[in-house]
Amino acid sequence: MAVYKISYVVIGSDHPGGIVNSSVRPQIGDQVKIGEQLFETIEVFELMPPRKDFHYIHVTCQPYNPK
Amino acid sequence: MLKEILRGVELFDGLTEDDLEQVASLCQEREIEPGELLVKEGDRGDELFIITSGFVEVLLETPRRVVVNLGRGQITGEMALVDGGPRSATLRAISEPTIVQVIHRSDFDNLCDNNTRLGYIVFRNLAADLSFKLRHRNLSER
Repeated sequence: MAVYKISYVVIGSDHPGGIVNSSVRPQIGDQVKIGEQLFETIEVFELMPPRKDFHYIHVTCQPYNPK
Repeated sequence: MLKEILRGVELFDGLTEDDLEQVASLCQEREIEPGELLVKEGDRGDELFIITSGFVEVLLETPRRVVVNLGRGQITGEMALVDGGPRSATLRAISEPTIVQVIHRSDFDNLCDNNTRLGYIVFRNLAADLSFKLRHRNLSER
């Protein structure tokens, strides 16, 4: 059972971002809800090597603006 | 069910089924409403929280600012548990439902004292979690 521990950093806003576990690896273009706000993923990379089932991921995201 | 939730929490990674059952027996579930405080900065702290649903914001009072939101699978309140100092930040629920599992410090200490293998694994994982939070903080300040 893979667990993705994700560090979300928000740009284009003073939102503080967040840390949350997910069973799904994040992808560029994903929409993600942190607290009550919706964001769009624009960057994903591995923060450090996985340890057993845990994967450590960094995501940069920005406020979601539907076109 | 609770054991399955704990299996997805990094703090307990590497524990056996029996270990997880012991940890689960210490947990007390608490549901908190949006806006409700879990702890207040400066208070004495003797509880560790495992967030199983929703989000908790970590809020510093001076100057007043939110430094991070913690969601499912994250632990918080661990600093007071490790160093015995006052709460370093205020914790407030920001989504509904926010559900946490609470472990009291004395129960946590007893468990680690009585099972040093478990204690080693949990404290190694606790160090890794603090390291991850520092990396997140560093990336936030780029």
